[in-house]
Amino acid sequence: MSTTIRMPEVLANVTEAAVQKWLVAPGDEVAVGQPFAEIETEKAVVEFAAETAGTVLELLVGEGDSIDVGAPIAIVGEAGEVALPADPAAAPAAEGSGGVAAAAPSDPESGAPVLEAAAPVADAAAAAQTSAGPVEATTGAGGASAPGEGSGRRFVSPLVRRLAREHGIDLSTVTGSGPDGRIVRRDIQALLDGSAPAATPAVAATPAPAADAPAAAAPARPAQPAPEGATVVPHSRMRATIARRLTESKSSVPHFYLTADCRVDALLEMRAQLNAGGQVKVSVNDLVVKAVAGAFVDVPEANRTWSDEGMVIHDSVDIGIAVSLDDGLVVPVVRGVEGLSVSALGGRIAELAGRGREGRLKLDELEGGSFTVSNLGMFGTQSFSAIINPPHAGILAVGAASARPVVVDGALEVGQVMTVTLSADHRAWDGALAARWLAAFVARIEHPLSILA
Amino acid sequence: MPQRRRLDTTAEWVELTTTAADWRKADPALLATMLGQLHLIRAFEERVLDLAAEGLVHGPAHSSIGQEGGAVGSIVSLRSSDAVNGSHRGHHQFLAKALAHVAQNGLQLDALVTADIQTVLQKTLAEILGLAQGYCRGRGGSMHLQWFEAGALGTNAIVGGGAPMATGNAWAQKQAGTTDLTINYFGDGAAQIGSVLESMNLAAAWKLPVCFFIENNLYAVSTRIEEAVADTRLSVRGQGFGIPSWRVDGMDPLAVHLAMEEAAAVMRSGGGPTIIEAEVYRFFHQNGPYPGSAFGYRTKEEEEEWKGRDPLDRVAREMIKRGLIDEAGVASVRAQSVAAMDAATAELLEADPDKQGRRRIRPELWPDPEFVNVGVRGDGSELEGMRVLEPSASDAARRPMKFVDAVAEVMGRRMAEDERIVVLGEDIHRLKGGTNGATKGLADAHPDRVLGTPISENAFMGLGGGLALDGRYRPVVEFMYPDFMWVAADQVFNQVGKARHMFGGDNPVPLVLRTKVAMGSGYGSQHLMDPAGVFATSPGWRIVAPSTAADYVGLMNAALALQDPVLVIEHVDLYAEKDEVIAGDLDYIIPPGTAAVRREGSEMTVISYLSMVKHCLEAIEQTGADAELIDLRWLDRASLDWATIEASVKKTNAVLIVEQGAQGTSYGGWLADEIQRRLFDWLDQPVQRVTGAESSPSISRILERAAIARTEEVVAGIETVRRNAGGAR
Ligand SMILES: Cc1ncc(C[n+]2csc(CCOP(=O)(O)OP(=O)(O)O)c2C)c(N)n1
Ligand SMILES: [Mg+2]
Repeated sequence: MSTTIRMPEVLANVTEAAVQKWLVAPGDEVAVGQPFAEIETEKAVVEFAAETAGTVLELLVGEGDSIDVGAPIAIVGEAGEVALPADPAAAPAAEGSGGVAAAAPSDPESGAPVLEAAAPVADAAAAAQTSAGPVEATTGAGGASAPGEGSGRRFVSPLVRRLAREHGIDLSTVTGSGPDGRIVRRDIQALLDGSAPAATPAVAATPAPAADAPAAAAPARPAQPAPEGATVVPHSRMRATIARRLTESKSSVPHFYLTADCRVDALLEMRAQLNAGGQVKVSVNDLVVKAVAGAFVDVPEANRTWSDEGMVIHDSVDIGIAVSLDDGLVVPVVRGVEGLSVSALGGRIAELAGRGREGRLKLDELEGGSFTVSNLGMFGTQSFSAIINPPHAGILAVGAASARPVVVDGALEVGQVMTVTLSADHRAWDGALAARWLAAFVARIEHPLSILA
Repeated sequence: MPQRRRLDTTAEWVELTTTAADWRKADPALLATMLGQLHLIRAFEERVLDLAAEGLVHGPAHSSIGQEGGAVGSIVSLRSSDAVNGSHRGHHQFLAKALAHVAQNGLQLDALVTADIQTVLQKTLAEILGLAQGYCRGRGGSMHLQWFEAGALGTNAIVGGGAPMATGNAWAQKQAGTTDLTINYFGDGAAQIGSVLESMNLAAAWKLPVCFFIENNLYAVSTRIEEAVADTRLSVRGQGFGIPSWRVDGMDPLAVHLAMEEAAAVMRSGGGPTIIEAEVYRFFHQNGPYPGSAFGYRTKEEEEEWKGRDPLDRVAREMIKRGLIDEAGVASVRAQSVAAMDAATAELLEADPDKQGRRRIRPELWPDPEFVNVGVRGDGSELEGMRVLEPSASDAARRPMKFVDAVAEVMGRRMAEDERIVVLGEDIHRLKGGTNGATKGLADAHPDRVLGTPISENAFMGLGGGLALDGRYRPVVEFMYPDFMWVAADQVFNQVGKARHMFGGDNPVPLVLRTKVAMGSGYGSQHLMDPAGVFATSPGWRIVAPSTAADYVGLMNAALALQDPVLVIEHVDLYAEKDEVIAGDLDYIIPPGTAAVRREGSEMTVISYLSMVKHCLEAIEQTGADAELIDLRWLDRASLDWATIEASVKKTNAVLIVEQGAQGTSYGGWLADEIQRRLFDWLDQPVQRVTGAESSPSISRILERAAIARTEEVVAGIETVRRNAGGAR
């Protein structure tokens, strides 16, 4: 009895992926949990562990070939067993995923999507009916549920189609609010208003090379020949994903912003003391992340995120850390930050960032979390605001600490001040909650021992 | 026991036959001309059938072979300013009229075919073959032959369809003070159709110089006359209408000529219309080169008997009898006619390089396919130089006026300025301006140009069409209710709408048709349609639908100046409105292609016309929508203001087309189609529409309200647009 291993849906909304490197070969014995392949997606290279024990009978895809999520990639069976041809039609392609639209095959005669791609082709009558009357089949199959959702067909108004083409907007992530989920102008208005594509580097929120700006802005322009002296570099998957995800976020998540100046003389003093003694060096960012966790401990009701089904209440503080890469960024999530010591936290961040830069993060290290920290302080940026990294409820944009005039008891003095800007998802947080959370964060930062406590 | 007294009509009804003495008395030149015409037409018709047999005539070739005597006898002494029209079997009448026109002093039998005659033969044959050099540039073909200068008004493929237009031509001839006359030819079959009977009545009532010439050839296709009528002597119709009538042997051209002389005397002297019934026989079937007996509806014996009465032989025989010509002379006339057709044919055909021994039409003679739509209507250049005024942008002083008074006033103003304008319709001359007061004062000021018509929409619409084609007068026809267009549909759509294009695209049809939408007035299912949709989807018509009195003035002035048929739609709801016009100015125009933006907005584009513009404004106010409201004013395909619609849709990306009437005949359908194709990539939702119900509005007040659209329905339409704009999750 052999098992077909399918391309995992390594990230939500990722519809294709490639095996970057096979970590097993035919004939190898594999155990559950053993690294099986490195899967490259738009966003990251993740290690895929074997979910079945047995002998690798056959590897079905070559390294580097992009295939649809859900398609067979390997067959594992008992030693000596002969591999049966994988039946692609039997693929549970749509399993648990709303993002299979692109993968739905089309009827060869009409080009119309065949709606029941996941149904066994053995049902010859149904198949014949589908090809004989594609129009009726479409209507009939779509009738039960909202066509925009269940049918694999995305409804888009003609205007939006054209604008998406001209502005390079990827509609696969846009939620339609028109009849039957049709994507209408309103649904992409925010993207069109210009902030999203152009702002990507800032959103990226982690130190991003300045050279990123033009590339990130590119989707906002219709396909045009490059101006003289310039060249057009095709987007990397990661670049396309950044563009898509942040565009989606900025256009569909209602952001609001709160800014605070924090006195950090005491924090910097404490960090100097810590680093003077210990083996492990503590960064300001580690302390900021820890203070963020502290604020969630102080204001636990803020530890929640929006979902269409309902508010997600988190019971641990999992924080995404924006990590810049040579050309791009990843946001690995550190879990249970409230329970980690500063040094453990620092070590964990360093380790994740390192593997992130090598593209070797695991899938579960990229998912989840309720909040992001993005720090451009090391570049001297004084303040900025960042785009929320869905599904998080907020992101804290951290600027550089610098000596600034401050008023203390009516007298002017010089102090170390760090400006932070909180971007919050108004669907999850209201203004007062955000303000309480930010006050708690400032209190922790300005009384740094509380961070360590 | 009641007393009974036999009644008689006062109309003359006679059978006219020639005597030997008539033939002896006949002018030799007349006989020579008749013989020459008969032979030219016969040779022509035989050539058409030859070409049809070779497959070179596209469509039916209805030959007149055997019936030439009726046409030649009746036309031979007409003036060029006299006019004829006819129907599907009309080659002989057309040729007789054209020959009479180019050879006004008659034909010379020893030199029969002059250059002009050769040209007539070739151009007519070219037209029948569908070639660009034909009289109608190949558009008309066999059944639509028109040559105005010769007095050939145009033949008609709707049997009897020419009768109303002939009465119109006769009205113009009479009104212009001439003694000219018009003959309308049709067959025994067509004699039963409403157009003919309505026209006979109208012509009799108004004493118009028109002759209804019935070519009674006993058959309508294969249906014999006894099957179609009780009294087969069709000239009996004159008795019912008070029209003097003649029954005559059509195989005797002199008899026909003498009957026409008598009839012409009546018509030219103001005696009104006449009827001539000529008994004729077509030697062939309805069309094509086979005898009728081949199709089994008549016998060979009957055909042989009638062939023995061939009009060509009759005239030749009588002339030989008088020593006016000999056998050789007749053979020469025949030979000259055939040679002329050989020459004409040679100009149009060549050997087919692909088919041994076959001929083909010279390829270079076909019309350019690009010509297909040319002349569906005029180009509007006649409006150039006229003073344009946009009332909504003018700060000129206003004069308060009810809408309906503006309707009457602008017409009164134009009638005073332009002697050509004639207004006709039911009761428009009485009741202080017709049933609604829309023609108030016109009859008093211009009694001879405001014509209260009998109830015969087809006839008086066609009479207007005849006036328009003639060009000396500018008809303004009123339909009391729009639904009446259906009884006049042939004249409205087949004749007036198509005439310009069908006859080659050059001869204009300047006619204004006024009617009022009366939804809400309780007149029920057969009175309350909005005609805009039907007219917008029919070729040739322009349409205006004013929503204000000041617009009405400018739009009516443009409609009256245009060389095209224009439908002017009014609305009873607007009639009573206290509106205003520009003080002291009833002379400006609002040209085609100028919609008015009544309200600017960015949320959606609402497109409407007529009384619904006001309902749209109310609905926009009630909903608080930031809608842009376009008042179309000009509704037809050619006159629509696309620039304004496009600019608005590109801004709003959403369209709501609003009209009041029933779904089926609605106007918005074609417009929505046009918008979605032109502006697909600018639409964020389907083009939405507000219309009435599927049903026609009933008389019951509640059901009528339920069947039509007003403000509430526009509000619902606006909400639909909003729902479709999304964002409400
Ligand atoms: C309104 C209309 N109905 C029917 C026809 C089809 N049609 C063409 S000719 C014809 C017969 C006409 O007979 P008649 O009027 O006697 O003329 P004839 O052909 O005998 O010259 C018919 C029925 C038509 N052209 N128009
Ligand atoms: Mg007949």
